[in-house]
Amino acid sequence: MAIYVLRKLAFFLGAVFVASVAIFLLIRAAGGNVAAILLGKDATAEAINALSHTYGLDRPLPVQYYDWLVKMAQGDLGQSFRTKEMVSELVTERLGVSIPLALSGLLLGILIAIPVGTYAARNVGKLSGAVLALISQIGIAVPVFWAGILLSVLFGVRLGWLPTGGWTDWSQSWVGAIRSLVLPVLSLGLIMAAVLIRYVRSAVLDVMNQDYVRTARAVGMTRTQALLNVGLRNASLPIVTIIGLQVAELIGGTVIIEMVFSLPGLSRMILANVAAREVIVVQSTVMLIIVFVIAVNFLVDLLYGILDPRIRNAT
Amino acid sequence: MLPEEAALTDIASPLHLTPALPRRSSLNVSLVVGILLTSGFLVIALVSLFWLPSNPNIPNIKARMTPPFSPAHWLGTDGLGRDIIAQLMVGARTSILVGAGGASIALFFGLITGLAAAAYGKVADELISRGADIMLSIPGMVTALVLAATLGSGSFTTILALSAFFTPSFTRVIRSAAMSVLQEDFITSARLYGRGKLFILARHVIPNIAGVMIVQFTLYFAAGILTEAGLSYLGVGVTRPSISWGMMLNEAQQTVGISSPLAIWPGLAIVIVVLGLNLLGDGLRDVLDPKLKRRGA
Repeated sequence: MAIYVLRKLAFFLGAVFVASVAIFLLIRAAGGNVAAILLGKDATAEAINALSHTYGLDRPLPVQYYDWLVKMAQGDLGQSFRTKEMVSELVTERLGVSIPLALSGLLLGILIAIPVGTYAARNVGKLSGAVLALISQIGIAVPVFWAGILLSVLFGVRLGWLPTGGWTDWSQSWVGAIRSLVLPVLSLGLIMAAVLIRYVRSAVLDVMNQDYVRTARAVGMTRTQALLNVGLRNASLPIVTIIGLQVAELIGGTVIIEMVFSLPGLSRMILANVAAREVIVVQSTVMLIIVFVIAVNFLVDLLYGILDPRIRNAT
Repeated sequence: MLPEEAALTDIASPLHLTPALPRRSSLNVSLVVGILLTSGFLVIALVSLFWLPSNPNIPNIKARMTPPFSPAHWLGTDGLGRDIIAQLMVGARTSILVGAGGASIALFFGLITGLAAAAYGKVADELISRGADIMLSIPGMVTALVLAATLGSGSFTTILALSAFFTPSFTRVIRSAAMSVLQEDFITSARLYGRGKLFILARHVIPNIAGVMIVQFTLYFAAGILTEAGLSYLGVGVTRPSISWGMMLNEAQQTVGISSPLAIWPGLAIVIVVLGLNLLGDGLRDVLDPKLKRRGA
């Protein structure tokens, strides 16, 4: 197990390193002269140089990269050029929107997909199974932002039950905050579910054809008992992996859904700061999100190793 | 959302490219519906090159907000009086350009890296496979936002972003397909006959994994259309004078509100086309691999 953990840890660190270099180069190399853009086109060369010097942007790129990485590792995400706000504070403010949205969306997707996918697998070859498979196939084709638009037309405009967009902060009214999250979570969750149902269905189908399920049936368990006692536990392994891989997709969905419902989450902050050339803010925030996703995958790998001895002992 | 790639990896035995035997008497519904929807989509895009009801970029204030089902504009016009059908038709073209463009570039690089990983030893395999794993764990949408903002938005940046996200998936699928072909006896014979590695890859491996490549391409064509729509909806994808369905949805929401029928048509177009391509991919997977258990819809 120790070797397995070490290998996964090495992969985690390698992934973080590669991602950090990629993000840094992407933003710095393609972004042009930051100080010149910040000062506008009337700025003199001296002013530009002075500002670059103040922000340390005139140092060689590897030095800047190293500096950024060391500070990130110490928990210092840097600060905004213009407003001097700390990136950590900016991010923390936005997490109150983004984290509940992403996590509830994922949870809803899982809660729908596991029972529905299992049901579809048990009814394969019957009409109900085919209908569910078709619904999931259509759901996969629906762009998450269009699902958001349709739900918002139905429940916001036509029925008037929920706000079509905007945000009430938790501190003002937590009922209001939840109300502004219901439709975004629903959009995200339904689309996640459509994708996950397919995986759950094929995982359960695989398990149902295994010898140990036949054995369980032979010793007198009903189909449902066999599935619950030995089937689901084995099917959970691939499902856990897929959920880990879907986290990157989940972040993408959250980014778009925040725009559909004009929620003041991380993605709006990133877009605004990209436009304002706040390179440090963008760099650190994007890196934070990527580290989060890679960390989730790392934890999923560990969990997988704990659940299945064959994986952890494989060379 | 990325297509299911796990199920693709077990198509790789070379026997599977033999034309489907009349093994299953029932009709392959996925394939038929997929072909119908996809060819309809391709024909519409093709027609748009030669004929459009009107110029989709020139405003016509007199005709603004024409309701759907009127004789001059079958699906009505938008807030600037531009015909919806004309915009949808040009949007189909963009979807093909960006979706197929992104998937093609990813296929090209995935083929090179996948074959290299499969055929050029453990070190190459480890480097390429771990590299692909790392790239897969980076959320594409966030990186695309940054990419579009630094390089400027447009069709070209969007294709670039898509091919970057899709390449690692192609690498993984092609690697595992090529590996199982390389274990076949006829590869050993070719090697004993004195054939070089590149010859064997080009002459024996690629034709035998063509089925996997076609299926993978089709599914990622669809994924590309979905991602492009998302990016264009955010305003960092395709820009006018090109027209994208995602962009049309954004414009509808910004100018006339979501309850207008303008927010329906482009979404419907995306769903139909992506559904068609996914069904086509699933159907092809069944045909190209008669032995595979049916797992998809």
